[in-house]
Amino acid sequence: MQEQREAHEAILDRLNRRLRTLSQCTNTLLQAESEQELLQSVCEILVAGGEVQLAWIGYCEDDAERTVRPVAQAGSGLDYLERVQTSWGEMEPGQGPPGVAARTGKACWVDDIRTDPRFSRWRVAALARGYASCIAVPLIAHSKQWGAVNLRATLNLYSAERNAFDESAIQHYSGLATSVVHAVTALRGDLAENLAHGVTALRARAERRQAAEALHQAREELAHVTRVTTLGELAASIAHEINQPLAAIIADANACLHWLEADRPDLDSVREALAAVVKDGERAGEVITRIRALLSRSSVAHGPCDLAEVIRDVLLLVGPELERHRTVLQISLATDLPPVMGDRVQLQQVLLNLLLNAAEAVRNVPPERRRLLVRSAVEQRDDRAWAVVAVEDAGVGFREEQAARLFEAFYTTKPGGLGMGLSISRSIMDGHRGRLWATANPGHGATFHFALPGMR
Amino acid sequence: MLPTEPIGSIPRPAALIEAVQALRAGRISQSELTERYDSAVRDTIRRLEATGSPVITDGEQAKHSFATYSIYGLENLSPDGVPISFADGHIRSFPRLTSGPFRYKTPADVYLEIAQRYAHVPLKQAVVSASALSLLYPQGGISGYSREEYLDALVAEQEGEIRRCLNKGAHVVQMDFTEGRLSIKLDPTRRLLHSFIDLNNLVLERFSAEERKRLGVHTCPGADRHSTHSADVDYAAFLPRLFELQATNFYVQLASEPDRKRVLKMIRDHAKDGQRIFVGVIDPLNPRVETPEEVRDRVLEAAEYIRPDRLGTTDDCGFAPFSDDTSRTRETAFEKIRARVGGTAMASTVLGLG
Repeated sequence: MQEQREAHEAILDRLNRRLRTLSQCTNTLLQAESEQELLQSVCEILVAGGEVQLAWIGYCEDDAERTVRPVAQAGSGLDYLERVQTSWGEMEPGQGPPGVAARTGKACWVDDIRTDPRFSRWRVAALARGYASCIAVPLIAHSKQWGAVNLRATLNLYSAERNAFDESAIQHYSGLATSVVHAVTALRGDLAENLAHGVTALRARAERRQAAEALHQAREELAHVTRVTTLGELAASIAHEINQPLAAIIADANACLHWLEADRPDLDSVREALAAVVKDGERAGEVITRIRALLSRSSVAHGPCDLAEVIRDVLLLVGPELERHRTVLQISLATDLPPVMGDRVQLQQVLLNLLLNAAEAVRNVPPERRRLLVRSAVEQRDDRAWAVVAVEDAGVGFREEQAARLFEAFYTTKPGGLGMGLSISRSIMDGHRGRLWATANPGHGATFHFALPGMR
Repeated sequence: MLPTEPIGSIPRPAALIEAVQALRAGRISQSELTERYDSAVRDTIRRLEATGSPVITDGEQAKHSFATYSIYGLENLSPDGVPISFADGHIRSFPRLTSGPFRYKTPADVYLEIAQRYAHVPLKQAVVSASALSLLYPQGGISGYSREEYLDALVAEQEGEIRRCLNKGAHVVQMDFTEGRLSIKLDPTRRLLHSFIDLNNLVLERFSAEERKRLGVHTCPGADRHSTHSADVDYAAFLPRLFELQATNFYVQLASEPDRKRVLKMIRDHAKDGQRIFVGVIDPLNPRVETPEEVRDRVLEAAEYIRPDRLGTTDDCGFAPFSDDTSRTRETAFEKIRARVGGTAMASTVLGLG
């Protein structure tokens, strides 16, 4: 009877102490002004309650070691926390009560530190400080708004008695942990969470902007490379185009020398020949200027642009190439094309690409079909005038199934072709808020059109 | 010679503090107050130059506080924002934004321009961090003005402010990041700190590597009156993340740390290549004026952990970050700065840099 009474009194005493502890903790939870104050007070109250020797709260970090970092502690043997490493990862340091509780969201306890194999890593340090059993209770809160884990921590208690954490103790400390989580969440508000959400959105936007800029730069680089490649295709014609005036200049200069050697030089002829030298020099200079413009790496510079001039410049470059392959070029240009806003070099690149494609398409067809037509027109769309340019050929054309892929990058029907020309041309048109499309001709060949909005 | 720079604020003359109160009471006009500001800036610069400091500030004489100068007077603010508790029990409340859009009212380059009229040596300009001003946005949100819109506007405002300071010739622009250490107190999970760092980096990343050589970050536990708000937060929880900020110069409170060597070790272990650390060698909260010899020894102590080509000196904090703080005198501040300059020169000589 005596033993039974003593046992009941011990239980009653323990329950009383827990009630007192709980009441003190509740006051702290309601009154604490900061999270740190709250956590520290809870640890101190639990130790003062006499049931545990050491109480600490560890926050789970997302570092490589998945550290459980002590943020509040009270009791005897605090240096224990400096000596041991605690983790909530899957590796060995994460197999102790704090790690298991943080990972599983359930309380984890060790009845006898001396014998429990899960505690072998920390045993020596714990026994040296008089700890015989321990428990870790999870403190986990999920964000209501964003769904993320807002708090992942553990409340860790060490007792000098073995089997100190029975079912009622586990229930008691789990209930307390729930209250701590609520209090921390209320204190913290959603400050960190809301800011993190806002900053993440801002960061994502900044990264999108950087990616768009990088893409834009890459496109410009690619466009430049394509221009250089295209001009390489024209090398023979360009050389001829420059050689012609150079040969004429040499011939005229020689004639001048010859005339000037005479006793009475024919100055009229000399003047005429020198005028021709100047004209031929200018012609060669113009070709070189146009080529240099196309080779330039300067970034896109949009400005008012006369499409008739763009067409004229490109035809001057392509003309000799067409002549070389005995291709007839017909031109039908509208006189009232509206000026467009754009980059002159890029627009030249698009037209040059379309013309060279067309020239290649008619290269191996019968001579009567070896003709190209470049035409321009004004069309009214969406309440404004659009300048439309078309390059029509009577060449090999394209099949219906090819139509959808013509503007894809790396798609080509030409042997040795890169398949970038039309893709880049379309991206250039997109960058000008314009359109580029292809239609199959009723008879032979294809027509490629591009349309640009006229300036208001 | 090792570089040495002040943090920013100098206690305002009593006449200026009275003038601010007089304006509120309607006894003087705004133009009269502006004259007093001007006069205080002129006097502060003259006296800072007299200390021999190779780089000076305007002493933040015309700033309402280091944190609120750019927004002071905005109509879409209410005074009941996030409260900041100091160790001695006093509280400073941050304002709260009540509606959008958000724009600065008086950016720092306005103060810089005024100071440039009087300065004969390079001027440093302090700016509040975006992370501090992120606290303006209320937890409950603002109808029709999202937090993301606010942060976007804030980052743009701060980029503009810093860029103008650089373009106008500031020797260096220092971002005050006192809330960094405080954030760990507000949120021990350090998620708030992570967001602060990320937000400030969104600003700093808008500058080229060359421009960032003239950008710095200041950390301290927030000195106000005789107290701090976060000196009890262990540097170990904060310093490793601090050096992730994309700035070149770091002005780190150190003189008042109980274990300076421990902090210096952390700096040595976590500072990144190319970052220069200006260690605090003067404690503004301590009324006693340090001797140049003390300063010299603190610098030499720091040089054991930080290579001299990456070392500089500073004060732990401004001497009056809030304009109404009268807990220290101007005279003490100038004497302390004189000791910093002298002690740094002495240490430089010992280190063979003099």
